[in-house]
Amino acid sequence: MIALAMIVVPLVAAALVMLARRVLPLARVLAVAGAVATLVLAIFLPGTRPLDLTWLPGIGVSFSLDGNGAGSVLTFAAALMMIPAVLVATTRVASGAAGFAALLLVALGGLNGIFLAKDLVLFYVFWEATLIPGLLLLGIWGGERRREATVKYLVYAVTGSFFMLISILAVKALSGAASFHVIDLMLAAPELPVATQTWLFVGLAIGMAVKLPIWPLHSWLVDLNEQNHPSGAADVLGSLYKVGAFGFFAWGLPLLPAGALRVAPILLALSAVTALYGAFGAIGSNHLKRFLAYGSLSHMGIIGVGVFGMHLAGMSGAMYFLAAQMVSTGGLFLIVGMLYHRRRSLYLADYGGLAKAAPALAAFTLFLIFTFIGVPGLSNFPGEFMSLLGAFQTSPWPAAIATLTVIAAGVYGVNLYQRLFQGRSEAVVKDLDALEMYVLLPVIVGVLLFGLMPAPHLQRIESQSQLAELQLERAAAAPGGITLSDVGGAR
Amino acid sequence: MTFPGQIDIHWSVLAPAIALLVTAAVTLFIALFSRDSRGAAGAALIGVITAGVFTLAQLLSGEANAASFGLRYLGDVPALTLTLVILLGTVAAVLVSWDQLQRGGMEHPEYYPLMLLSALGAVVMASAGDLITLILGLEIMSLPVYALSAWRTRDRQSEEAGMKYFLLGAFGSAILIYGAALVYGAAGSFVYGDVAAALSSGNLTLLATLGGALVLAGLGFKAALAPFHQWAPDVYTGAPTPVVTFMTVVIKIGAFAALLRLATVVFPALQPWLLTALAVMVALTLVVGNFSALMQRGVKRMLAYSSVAHAGYLGLALLATDHGGVAAAAFYLTAYAFMNAGAFAVLSLISDANDHGDDLERFAGLAKRRPWLAAVMTLFMLSLGGIPPLVGFAGKVLVFQAVIDAGYVWLAVLGIATSIVALVYYFRVVAYMYFRESAYEPPAFRSGATQVAIALALAGTLLLGVFPGWWHTLLSAGPRLLAGL
Repeated sequence: MIALAMIVVPLVAAALVMLARRVLPLARVLAVAGAVATLVLAIFLPGTRPLDLTWLPGIGVSFSLDGNGAGSVLTFAAALMMIPAVLVATTRVASGAAGFAALLLVALGGLNGIFLAKDLVLFYVFWEATLIPGLLLLGIWGGERRREATVKYLVYAVTGSFFMLISILAVKALSGAASFHVIDLMLAAPELPVATQTWLFVGLAIGMAVKLPIWPLHSWLVDLNEQNHPSGAADVLGSLYKVGAFGFFAWGLPLLPAGALRVAPILLALSAVTALYGAFGAIGSNHLKRFLAYGSLSHMGIIGVGVFGMHLAGMSGAMYFLAAQMVSTGGLFLIVGMLYHRRRSLYLADYGGLAKAAPALAAFTLFLIFTFIGVPGLSNFPGEFMSLLGAFQTSPWPAAIATLTVIAAGVYGVNLYQRLFQGRSEAVVKDLDALEMYVLLPVIVGVLLFGLMPAPHLQRIESQSQLAELQLERAAAAPGGITLSDVGGAR
Repeated sequence: MTFPGQIDIHWSVLAPAIALLVTAAVTLFIALFSRDSRGAAGAALIGVITAGVFTLAQLLSGEANAASFGLRYLGDVPALTLTLVILLGTVAAVLVSWDQLQRGGMEHPEYYPLMLLSALGAVVMASAGDLITLILGLEIMSLPVYALSAWRTRDRQSEEAGMKYFLLGAFGSAILIYGAALVYGAAGSFVYGDVAAALSSGNLTLLATLGGALVLAGLGFKAALAPFHQWAPDVYTGAPTPVVTFMTVVIKIGAFAALLRLATVVFPALQPWLLTALAVMVALTLVVGNFSALMQRGVKRMLAYSSVAHAGYLGLALLATDHGGVAAAAFYLTAYAFMNAGAFAVLSLISDANDHGDDLERFAGLAKRRPWLAAVMTLFMLSLGGIPPLVGFAGKVLVFQAVIDAGYVWLAVLGIATSIVALVYYFRVVAYMYFRESAYEPPAFRSGATQVAIALALAGTLLLGVFPGWWHTLLSAGPRLLAGL
């Protein structure tokens, strides 16, 4: 029941926030309470019994949720980041703040659904449902070119997910599975001929690659971040939207392992390219949000390398990295919002020398930049390291290319800090105020938690990774199957 | 009850139709004595709800298995469930008309009797078990609507709509009747079951195939399947919005109810190329409907073309009647009735008294001025576009699953590809409401009737979207009176 509550509670909170929209302080309390309640639920989620309700029995669709595995970690990170996001939304958004916060909560409900669904159609339902709040946030509160960005996001996301839908419906029809439940599908779908699995996997992959996102399907992300509301609250959501890797991990690889083995080398190469491309994009950006968008794109490339390396450690690490980057990237977007609040600009050129006037802001920013570039002890490091380590076991070359971005990250991270806070400036800016401290508190807690105590989270992820690996090994061992080492290097 | 001449009549099967007929007579009587149309509207609502109660009672009593006149008039699950949806659509149309007739200066009380008669025709079509009943239903359904679509008598566009609809409708009917005659010539019977039996026993002649093709074409006219859809956009654009609300829901269900029966029972016994022809028609409908809708600037016209597109999605289910297509189509029709009626109800509130100004500009900035109306319209648009967890999504999934199961993967791919196009034009309305500014102030609300219609449609769109299972189970279960259903 906790799993169900994780979807219902944010939605109810959103409705209450809308009803209280004329009394902003009340709406703010309700929104934060909704996010906190979801976080509390997320803490108690692991180990609860799966939920299994009939939904569309006529074609074998059930309302099945399960809070074990990687999903539990990702819902925790998402709920944690929603607290600062709604707090910022209800304090820094000038008009319609309650609606803004309500949309964030609706999106959180949908995201939890994506992470917890154990029925493929249900997964798709939530996958699509999260699209709308993001579009509205961008379209209503976005910058000057928001319309173009909205259309771009809509077209990319919808095109991808409709391909996914064909594969989803066809996988049951072709495999003869009893239902869309993950267990039924995992039994039947891997028995399909390799060619069939391959085209089904390609269908899924088109949808998931858009939301990984992977080069060349990534460009919606940069525009989305650039045009989103300057407070950064909507960008927190943007960093939660990058759920494609989870889709591959939880559905694509275990359901269609033979197809995955065929297609993965291409995706692996693209992921490596994405990692490098993102890093160079970040180095070359002079716009704060584009900078972060490219930087997180680079992370997504590494996550892709981890997943498509198809090694236990890499897959687990990638999921861990996904959760950790939700916190660190979201936190940096919030910092950018705070900077904008002070200087009304998102261009790096307008900044410099702020450390003197705002030492606390500078310190927190440096802390998050260190996290962002993967300094050990902070949240991004374990996942990033494991992703690359895992990928090296099966595919040294793509992994090596992706590892180059670790160097690049050092360059762009330090460069960013320098250009923002160092150098000479007479500018007088306020240091962090109480509200901003409250906003950053959950972020810091999350960074330290993910950085210093990875074991409990990783254990839950690994239980699911083992399943995926088992399916892949079975497919590789099947007569005529492709071996894992064919993907690249010796295992 | 059985008459000496072996005519079996189950009054419970006929009760909904009789209730509608009586109500039509009563409202006509009220109309004679009162120039205010509200009385007639109230009586119409009561009558439709009574018919609904009869239908529901029969559906739930477990005897949803009775027929009258020797399988010529059926009361099985598909007939009863579609009757319910027809009645729901009629309620929505009456509620929307309640406000709009007065506003638009169209307050002739004969309006409601005509609407009720047309609904009766649709009910008869849904229950038809033979070609004669079908044709009777079709004419009862169509003739009143020709008049209704020209109801705004001082408006050239409305007049043109009525004329065009009448001419092309009559043309469609004629083709259908001609086809029915040929089928009779080949099979020696009008009753679907007998026709199918006669045709599959080796008497498949050119006559029968030609007849089947003409019947298909005739119903294609009514259902607005391409290439027989050309009347639809002009008629929908010209006719008063409350009438369009009625047409897009009730007339469409009537036509598809008939097509579903034929696709299940008769078509499989005909030449396989007829099914191929149907598949091509459906594909064409999907492409033409969606791409034409994409080009429109007026919301009403966009919705008109989109209703052509939805005929395409329904057509997909026709091809998969052996694989759950009947229930899928019935579900899709329900979904379509709710979300489309809702969209037109909102549209009627936005446009001015003369129904003009349904272009996109009128929707600009609506979210600021009428936040709830904009939010509701957003839900209808997204549901029409097939976004979960709204009812349109469940409908699409059922249809696509059925058509994939039936082996038409290419049609499913086409259906999904055109869905992407559809989402672009539906989302455009949302984008105008939320992302743009405008000084246009929509007219004030008259009474609560349209809001009640919107609330009904919204409840259906949300509840059936989140809990689609029970209705789909009901549609899939239950006895089927004709072989193969």
